[in-house]
Amino acid sequence: MLLLTLLVVVGGIGLYMAMPRGRTAPARGVLALLALAAGAMLVAILINLPSGIVTPARPTMVALSALALLAAVRVVTHSRPVYSALYFVLLVLANAGLLLLMQAEFLATGLVIIYAGAILVTYIFVIMLAQQTTGKAAYDTESREPLLGCFAGFLLLAVLAGGIYGAAVPGSLERSGTGGPLAAEAIDAQPDLAPTAALLSDVNRLSEPGPGHGTTERLGTHLLTSYFLAMELAGVLLLAAMVGAIAIARRQLSAMEPAA
Amino acid sequence: MLIPLVLVGAALFALGLIGFVTRRNLIIIFLCTELMFQGIVLNLAAFGRYPLSGSPTLDGQAFAIFLLAIAASEAALGLALVVLLYRYRGTLDANAYKVLKDS
Repeated sequence: MLLLTLLVVVGGIGLYMAMPRGRTAPARGVLALLALAAGAMLVAILINLPSGIVTPARPTMVALSALALLAAVRVVTHSRPVYSALYFVLLVLANAGLLLLMQAEFLATGLVIIYAGAILVTYIFVIMLAQQTTGKAAYDTESREPLLGCFAGFLLLAVLAGGIYGAAVPGSLERSGTGGPLAAEAIDAQPDLAPTAALLSDVNRLSEPGPGHGTTERLGTHLLTSYFLAMELAGVLLLAAMVGAIAIARRQLSAMEPAA
Repeated sequence: MLIPLVLVGAALFALGLIGFVTRRNLIIIFLCTELMFQGIVLNLAAFGRYPLSGSPTLDGQAFAIFLLAIAASEAALGLALVVLLYRYRGTLDANAYKVLKDS
């Protein structure tokens, strides 16, 4: 718990210092030190968490998590929008790796195709369309209220992480009654301990991990049976969004041109 | 494995929130909403894979796929609005749009 609090505080200070702020260049040495400390604490917390069995995938998970968080910090703090977008691609790739560890193969590939392939290409097109000035613009090198923003964000993170950690470690929240049973249940529910027959009997369930047992077929069946109506509605939503985007972007400005 | 993944998802969400509040470039503001979506996707998949009770279900992944559809719609509409605003004012600075009154 102390380590978690320390991590949140160090992360908040580091992110505040890394925020783009006008002409004053951030002290790179201090930043690197803070990032290193935060990374070490993150790795220590993720490795030592007593949630379930320590699987062989745990080091991979820790590395991918650290990569994702580093990329996310750079997305937020980089003063060039194109680099922010490229770091977001890195974040998506790390996230896809985490999803692969969770045996969500279809979701991982879908994430890479939709996010890294489609959405980010759109973002980069818009950045190229709109950023015609050479050099950095003032609104990229200067952030708005970085202290208050970092404080609010890391306060939220502290509350969330404290709650999650308290649920995971029994006794870490003394006056909370929800700690023990939830953690026990989370450990009990490890799929490695669940009976295989029950898993395979239901189309709703994940198959036992192994070669050739991708979840795409099951996920497709699940989507088109349990969530049939929602699937159709998602299609309607995408169509409406497409029509709306075309209607907005094609609007002629002559009628609403500003006086200048 | 559930708790670390949920922690990472929460951290991604908080970072996206900070970026949304502090950055001034409209495009980066929308990129930070996508960052928050990434944290949520991670959470949904983790809760589907390591549920608190019972055996793993595919509901988390199904929710995440619907979330991808929502995110794609949001990106298309948001970027169309950004392009329109850029043509209207010639800048991406969010501070340039703080006066909502029609001049």
